[in-house]
Amino acid sequence: MAFLKITAAVLLVCAPRLGAQAAKASEAQVKAVFLFNFAQFVDWPAESVPDSQAPLVIGILGEDPFGDFLDATVRGERRGARPFAVHRYQRVDDVTRCDILFIGQSAGDAPEEIIARLKNRPILTVSDADRFAQRGGMIRFVTDRSRIRLQINPAAAEAAHLTISSKLLRVAEVITPTGR
Amino acid sequence: MADMKTAAAATSLVFTLGLICVVRPGVAQQADSARQRPDSSVSAAALKKLSIEQLMDLQVTSVSKRPERLSQTASAIQVITQQDIRRSGASSLAEALRLASNLQLAQVDSRQWAISARGFNGTTANKLLVLIDGRTIYTPLFSGVFWDVQEVPLEDIDRIEVISGPGATLWGANAVNGVINVITKDAKDTQGFLLTGGGGTEQHGFGTVRYGAALGSSVRARIYGRGFDRDATAFPSGQDAADDWHLEQGGFRMDWEASSASHATLQGELYDGRIAQDSGGDIAVTGRNVIAKWSRTLSERSSLTAQLYYDRTHRDIPRLFGEHLDTYDVELQHSTRLGARHDLVWGLGYRNINDRTVVGADSTLAFLPTQVAREWFTGFVQDEIALVPNRVHVTLGTKIEHNDYTGFEVQPSGRVSWRLASSGLLWAAVSRALRTPSRIDRDLFAPAKPPYFLTGGPDFHSEEELAYELGYRYQRGSVALSVATFYSRYHGLRSIEQVNPPNPVPLVIGNGQDGESYGGEVTAEYWLTSRWRVHAGYTELRVHVWPNPGSTDRSRGATESQVPDRQFLLQSWVDLPGHLGLAAGFRAIDDINHQLVPAYAELNATLTWQPTSHLDLSLVGQNLLHDQHREFGAATSPTRRDIQRGVYGAVAWRF
Repeated sequence: MAFLKITAAVLLVCAPRLGAQAAKASEAQVKAVFLFNFAQFVDWPAESVPDSQAPLVIGILGEDPFGDFLDATVRGERRGARPFAVHRYQRVDDVTRCDILFIGQSAGDAPEEIIARLKNRPILTVSDADRFAQRGGMIRFVTDRSRIRLQINPAAAEAAHLTISSKLLRVAEVITPTGR
Repeated sequence: MADMKTAAAATSLVFTLGLICVVRPGVAQQADSARQRPDSSVSAAALKKLSIEQLMDLQVTSVSKRPERLSQTASAIQVITQQDIRRSGASSLAEALRLASNLQLAQVDSRQWAISARGFNGTTANKLLVLIDGRTIYTPLFSGVFWDVQEVPLEDIDRIEVISGPGATLWGANAVNGVINVITKDAKDTQGFLLTGGGGTEQHGFGTVRYGAALGSSVRARIYGRGFDRDATAFPSGQDAADDWHLEQGGFRMDWEASSASHATLQGELYDGRIAQDSGGDIAVTGRNVIAKWSRTLSERSSLTAQLYYDRTHRDIPRLFGEHLDTYDVELQHSTRLGARHDLVWGLGYRNINDRTVVGADSTLAFLPTQVAREWFTGFVQDEIALVPNRVHVTLGTKIEHNDYTGFEVQPSGRVSWRLASSGLLWAAVSRALRTPSRIDRDLFAPAKPPYFLTGGPDFHSEEELAYELGYRYQRGSVALSVATFYSRYHGLRSIEQVNPPNPVPLVIGNGQDGESYGGEVTAEYWLTSRWRVHAGYTELRVHVWPNPGSTDRSRGATESQVPDRQFLLQSWVDLPGHLGLAAGFRAIDDINHQLVPAYAELNATLTWQPTSHLDLSLVGQNLLHDQHREFGAATSPTRRDIQRGVYGAVAWRF
């Protein structure tokens, strides 16, 4: 029991001191950086790029979990000559020109519904919705406590004429095409 | 009963401590504010510097007991993912471990496996530590694992981390030559129904029902039940070895995301199995365990985890042997960053076991006293020092343990990792690890009643290892490569000594042998295309054991290390058109030293058809190259079993 008393003492002494330190990089922060990074690993069809200077748009559909972090992440960054822009949409019908679309949990419709409406548009769809990649989405964030893994459905990307680099597939769980 | 009361008191006290921390308002507030106001100015630039691999690369918790990127891990680690397991057609945890080329692994009969790393293999291999969700599946009888009752539902496994080489500094005694860490999925990744079932020649039948649902907004849970019936192996003559068996199992897991910084898990399982024998009645195995875990991020620089488990196992071999084991274990771990260069992890642990053996009417051996209670107190501290941040890191640490057999034991280690410009990582390590005494070393008596010709060693002390490792790890694009080399020196390995030489009996267990082992493990993984991945592993291994002056043991490791000099594994996973997938695993294993098991090669292959995301159909062939082959055991022993070719079909339906 002496051991447990020591444990207790240590716990009680440590807890308040540690709480006073800085905030942690959140799950959302890391996901925002992923979204930014995806731009480097995906090739869009030439006809979907209006011109070589056109902004590369990262869209957020529904509730924005990133705060201003996504904006901060892409600020001043370029993909080739293209700067980045962040757009926010409430409804899928609002999604205008967009290259990467993060579908938030509260986007309203089921992922299948949203994907159906985006069909054939060259937009990289990303979400953390359950079984998103199996349901026709392209990339799902799978969060395992502090760890974020990717599930990728390359067939869905191909259907939208997007090419996902094998370097990205290499580190992701590849989801085989879903039933229709 | 006194021990149970102590454990109960310990349990309640730890829970109380947990609650004190949870409700401490300052801490909770801090965590909430972290979620609402991402501190972008600090982290944006830092996070963007990470490659995609670095961002998402498996964060390995085993090696340093805190999240770390695999490609930076300064040890010989291999990770088996859920996808690898699913596509391999493995039907048990032990079979899934075949995917790790840094393990020496042999199927002994229908239920027993000999699994070790870096040598010293046997059915009672004692230098490997195995954890399932942080629960040590260790029998204090011989410091090994009863693999027949480690039937984790494979669908629930997130990943398996397999580390060869000492892990004693963090994980303590038993992690002499390796650690296997099985991590199951969060309940939120197993929502909805899963039904699996199938059967075939060696797998007579199996089925799982799993259901996961949300309980409120922040709690997800799953519950499952499963069972299987496996065919017997064969005698060398081809005759049925009558060791068919079946097991039924059920369990649950609940994950509570109390806040973005706080996570609690409660999980448990129950199992009940019957294993037939070619003579004597069925072996009965039952068990249950429950694990409570709580982790909290205190700040960007600091996190705390606490874990508590209770495990009960029971094994009854009619007329020969029985064992009831209760284990209580509590652990606490804190990681924190000190200044710009120090990542500190420390922890405390306490384990209490109550082991009761039964001497059967026909027993040829006994563990005396039949009942023992043992306690372990452990503490560890490890500091990772960034000598040159993100390039050269030095990790120093030690475990200090107190056990009832040998008192205090110290297991330090030092590691250096040097990140090269070329996406490579060079690492080196020196470790001291101990295999502390277990009941077989101290309490074993044969025959079951006096006069004994063999007695446990009252002075048996820990076996000591000094290990030197040097490795290289490279990952870039579609190529991953790892090379690990090692030299280990062992002191005081278990021996059987004549009490009054040259009289052959009586015998006593001693520490009369020394030894050394050396070798290398190479793995390479390559994505030929985005749909075709191959993985190759090669291990070369030498173990020499010799008696020390004064020792009368002349076994030279024959009873302690039954391993091949070399082994080669090749796996291929390819996605085919038409929603088909083909996975193949080839292995070539050299002859087993000290046994008359010849070299062999075998092949497993799995064809999977996934017509919709809800349905998988698979056809699995196991050990396809021979009607039957031997993997372990003496040539002439009546107990030797051959492993037969097996084919089975399986269906998995999710909705």
